[in-house]
Amino acid sequence: MPIHSSQHYELINLSVLALEYVVLIRLFMSQIPTLYALSNSSLLFDASHLEPNNVLSIQKKIWTLAEYCKQSGDFTDLVPAMNSLTLYLKDAQNLNKWQKALLTTWNDIKSTSFKFQHHKINTVYNGEDLAYVAQYNNLTTEDVINIHSKTHYHVLFLGFQPGFAYLHGLDKRLHTPRRSEPRTKVPKGSVAIGADKTAIYPADTPGGWHIIGQTSTQLFDHTLQTPCLINPGDTLEFVPCSLSEDITHD
Amino acid sequence: MIKVIKPGVQLSIQDLGRTGYRHLGVSKTGSLDPYAQVIANRLINNNDNDAVLEITVGLCELAFLCSTEIALHGADLQASIDGKPIYPGWSYKVRANQTICFNTGRAGLRAYLAVKGGIKTPVIMHSRATDLNASFGGLNGKALSAGDILPIDEYINNNFKQTGALAPPKRQIIRVYASPHTHILGNVIADVFINTRFKVSYNSNRMGVKLENAVNSLTHTHSLPSIGVSPGSIQLPPNGDPIVLLNDAQTTGGYPLLGTVIEADLHQFAQFRPGDLVKFEYVTIEDAAKAKHKLSGHLEQLKIALKNKK
Repeated sequence: MPIHSSQHYELINLSVLALEYVVLIRLFMSQIPTLYALSNSSLLFDASHLEPNNVLSIQKKIWTLAEYCKQSGDFTDLVPAMNSLTLYLKDAQNLNKWQKALLTTWNDIKSTSFKFQHHKINTVYNGEDLAYVAQYNNLTTEDVINIHSKTHYHVLFLGFQPGFAYLHGLDKRLHTPRRSEPRTKVPKGSVAIGADKTAIYPADTPGGWHIIGQTSTQLFDHTLQTPCLINPGDTLEFVPCSLSEDITHD
Repeated sequence: MIKVIKPGVQLSIQDLGRTGYRHLGVSKTGSLDPYAQVIANRLINNNDNDAVLEITVGLCELAFLCSTEIALHGADLQASIDGKPIYPGWSYKVRANQTICFNTGRAGLRAYLAVKGGIKTPVIMHSRATDLNASFGGLNGKALSAGDILPIDEYINNNFKQTGALAPPKRQIIRVYASPHTHILGNVIADVFINTRFKVSYNSNRMGVKLENAVNSLTHTHSLPSIGVSPGSIQLPPNGDPIVLLNDAQTTGGYPLLGTVIEADLHQFAQFRPGDLVKFEYVTIEDAAKAKHKLSGHLEQLKIALKNKK
């Protein structure tokens, strides 16, 4: 019957529309970072759900957003973390203003405008766990050194201790589960691998990562005008060298 | 100069802490009870940010090698000058070669001792606060030990007038602003959190106050990408024992948050002792702002009263 079939057709059409609408909303939602007031003077801008498989491209926008907010002079601290930015206001009166402005700003910013430094970290690959990392990944120690030093790493953010950089870009062939028994002291300047990450320890600290090398580069020195060598968004590479080269370079 | 005879459990130089370096992983540090510091400083006409001594638990002894004025605030750790009792909330005159002794208190954990002109250790990254984890600030980046000499200026005032000020009122229930992670943790955990009386763990320090409860379980299996955290953030590790982060805490963390202790109530965590009971309630942003305003009002009243006294 024509009427019935037309109703049927409309029903199908409506349900298709509804489905498309839901998909659209989902797509739209996943493109929008979430913004929370953590207190009456701090905000969490969270973009970690946008592209979990492409943390670097999101992080580039996070750095740019942080730089933009810094220029305003409204904040005491702007702390990038994993695809998020925590913003601490000087004056709680500005909370509403930034709650309104941040999402628009996010849509307007271009991450290409972000300026960063590249650091070459002279590294003596003589760490206690170098052989273990090689063995675990079916590589020679030379392979480990080659792979580790051929990558340009991005400093996603800093945390854990002053000058400790969370680096992005460790080659899959070097991923190694953390030590079952953490060391009570990982010496300052240790270059280490823990799971899918690599890092340099700015100071002596307990830690469960595998030590593959050592650098004499000072990452954090509180007596300097600029106490921290590395900033969020910088890039770095490890340059293999002998012990004497590392010391003379420094 | 002040000579440390006995440091007690933990004695450190603090001020209002460091800002502007959190993106480099540098913690705030500074006095855990900033209001106690500010009131003590105001009682002897210091600047609010002048460096003070934070005395933990007590059992501390200090010898003054020059004359000065001091003020005491925070916990009552049964202090005395040459055996004569002195009380938190008051200023005192100290002569060269007198000794201040802290016994230990029945309530509260940390006392603050302000000295005329402040303690003059070097300013590092805009603060004199001791960063005990990263080992800088204060005196050589360390908690003070016996024999340490602390630089202060001599101050002789023949017109000394003793002044006193009350501490801001304390709350029985700590006010918390909402968690950004309710959608992950679920409303059940938030409800249990609010309806539980927690016990302060022995495992607490300047990085955070750990809370325990034997009755309700807040365990979970969520882990999150790291976010920026700050003093007041309440982390919930998978074991279900919340941690209220304090001034020495790391700048980023990957545990879900139960919320943030409002600024006006956070200073109370400086004074919780192991075994003390803590309960929370959620409040709005407006309530948080109002509470902060009220506390600032308390300090402003003190400022006006001290000005009129002169």
